[in-house]
Amino acid sequence: MAMAWQLRLKDGAVVGLPRALLFYELYPFWRGLLEALGLRVAVSTATSPKVIEAGTRQAMDEACLPVKSFYGHVMVLRDRVDAVFLPRLVSLSPGTYTCPKMLGLPDMVRQNLRGLPPAIVVDFDARLRRRSLEEGGESVACRLGRSRGQAREAVSRGLEALRTFRGSLEAGRSFEEAASGAAPGWKTPLEGWKAPAAGGHPAPTRPGPRRPRVGLVGHAYNLFDPGVNLGLGRKLAALGCDLVTSEQLSEEEVQTESAALPKEIFWSSGRRILAAVTRFRRRELVDGFIHVVSFGCGPDSMVGEIAERETRRSSNLPYMALTIDEHTAEAGLLTRLEAFTDMLARRRARPETPEGSVAAEVTA
Amino acid sequence: MRVTFPHMGNLWIIVKTLLEDLGLEVIVPPLPNRRSLDVGVRHAPEFACFPLKLNIGDFVGALDRGAEAIVMAGGIGPCRFGHYAQVEAQVLHDLGYDAEMVILEPPRGHLDGLLAKIRRLSGGKPLTRVWRAIRFGWEKLVALDDFDRALTRARPVERLTGSAARAHRAAAARLADADGVWATRRVGGEGVREILRAAGLEESGRPGEPSRGKPFPRLRVGLVGELFMVAEPFANQELERRLGEMGVEVLRPLYLSDWVRTHLIPRVFQPGRRRRASEIKRAARPYLGHFVGGEGLDSVGETILFDRQGCDGVIHVAPFTCMPEIVAASLLPEAGRDLGLPVLSLFLDEHTAEGGLTTRLEAFVDLLGRRRAVGGAREKW
Repeated sequence: MAMAWQLRLKDGAVVGLPRALLFYELYPFWRGLLEALGLRVAVSTATSPKVIEAGTRQAMDEACLPVKSFYGHVMVLRDRVDAVFLPRLVSLSPGTYTCPKMLGLPDMVRQNLRGLPPAIVVDFDARLRRRSLEEGGESVACRLGRSRGQAREAVSRGLEALRTFRGSLEAGRSFEEAASGAAPGWKTPLEGWKAPAAGGHPAPTRPGPRRPRVGLVGHAYNLFDPGVNLGLGRKLAALGCDLVTSEQLSEEEVQTESAALPKEIFWSSGRRILAAVTRFRRRELVDGFIHVVSFGCGPDSMVGEIAERETRRSSNLPYMALTIDEHTAEAGLLTRLEAFTDMLARRRARPETPEGSVAAEVTA
Repeated sequence: MRVTFPHMGNLWIIVKTLLEDLGLEVIVPPLPNRRSLDVGVRHAPEFACFPLKLNIGDFVGALDRGAEAIVMAGGIGPCRFGHYAQVEAQVLHDLGYDAEMVILEPPRGHLDGLLAKIRRLSGGKPLTRVWRAIRFGWEKLVALDDFDRALTRARPVERLTGSAARAHRAAAARLADADGVWATRRVGGEGVREILRAAGLEESGRPGEPSRGKPFPRLRVGLVGELFMVAEPFANQELERRLGEMGVEVLRPLYLSDWVRTHLIPRVFQPGRRRRASEIKRAARPYLGHFVGGEGLDSVGETILFDRQGCDGVIHVAPFTCMPEIVAASLLPEAGRDLGLPVLSLFLDEHTAEGGLTTRLEAFVDLLGRRRAVGGAREKW
């Protein structure tokens, strides 16, 4: 079925995946899918100040850092690949949206960046359907002129990789380990943090000599990209903290927590963040929260507020909203993290002192 | 039960009429002002968008005056507005206010859920009674939007700065008191005539001669962007007044009655509206191929439609960090370049200073005027 909008790519053509935004949630799926369709996959280099600068120059000022970083990654790929993969991720689970900027991203990138190779743009929309990845994946195959059978095969390869990936994330592995385990061929491992605690959720916190445990919540692309968060994970590990991330929650756990709300959050990432904060707090899994927020992030400005107020009302756990953008300096960030972990250590040393929760909200 | 609701431009006149007609005692918050904004900014989340901060200011003002319940709209995303009510409820709760929040979630294609909530608010009045209240509110809304349209035509040509606005204020006050559908219609017709007459215009809107110091034929600028920022003069720093007084006719595609038509009334009752929506979508298509929440897609489509109408330029307003409008603002420069249409995007919030805004507007209007002078009036207009 040759159609006008089909994109003719030779077997072995190189498709570029920008290492930004939902790459950090779906990379194994993309890789499994595209490779099964006979294409080679190139991932842009790790986020560096240079990548961010390239993106910042092209994107409009008001855009958030992850979007600017996405622009930068597309610029990295621009002259090196036969096609860029720019799916429009409208919704990944029923009743949710990703974020307005992701809905407009393929258009923004194609309008704002000149000289791009052909782009693979396909809508992934699970709002009214259950099978966003399946249907979207099949559309990708169809777009590339592949047969139905090939499409199904490719989608199931992708989904399998994604399941392995999610499994290792939920077991507490780092993004790099999970990604390379799920999609072999991961050539350039990212700098990253050590796995906090292997094997599912850690045991509840008990008084006694133990490293303070931080609940690190936020969008996957903020938690897992050391170029964006300035190596937050490593810094916290160096300060002697164990980490539990919001990505360690399974989809079922997110659903359970979310369904208990009077009105479910309609952003999928927001659901996850709020579910993680609620669950970690109720099960006493953490000593405090760090919410990594991009400056100007719309969903997080609302979800973070709800999470922080809930935490303050029903516990005395400290909750720090760490706002990052392209101007965030390493020294300032480190100072804030040191202050936060110092406080956690002091609170642990004197557990009997009832301390009010500390909510810090300063732009780093 | 004493109820209140947030401000958005002239919306209060209609909502007050509607709720009072349902037998509720209504406390209208003070019109947005410096003080209510300060309250909102102090208590709202730092990175929430601007309208939420003004909402909080409105609510605190009304609750301090004795309101017990808040009527608020909901949403299904992806625009943040859909979660306003939840966040606002938490902020007010933590401030120690004990207000019930009645959230009217948008009906998905049908009005049942919305009607049920309205009936509950009204204490179970029969549906015909509710319908009458809605009809009455609707008449006022349409009349008010007519006033606003007349004002944008009158302002650029008025002899005495502010005379059209004065006539508008007087007409709006009479409309607020108008009792019954027929009285509303009469006041509506009279009001439009008076506003136009205040600027020496006949009802046709054709000016006799240009007033001094203002360009003629006058410049026409389309105003697009996020609904609240377009509709609420306090939030957009009275953009329409400023432009009008510079002799610019401001065209707005989005009046409140249009918004109600698009968002609250089922499509089957209004085939024309569907055409308008798909026209906007089609116009935006070369630049933006998907709905992005809020008015993002509309901003792009309407800009292109304004160009076809022969506007001299387009001004795009949005609250700082507004996600859908950031998408639109990323695409508008490209559209403007292709069409040869100057587009000015303004992201406004509580930090926007009057001086800076005036300078930008003056520069933009100068640019449009000069383009006119060099290229002659665009032939399309």
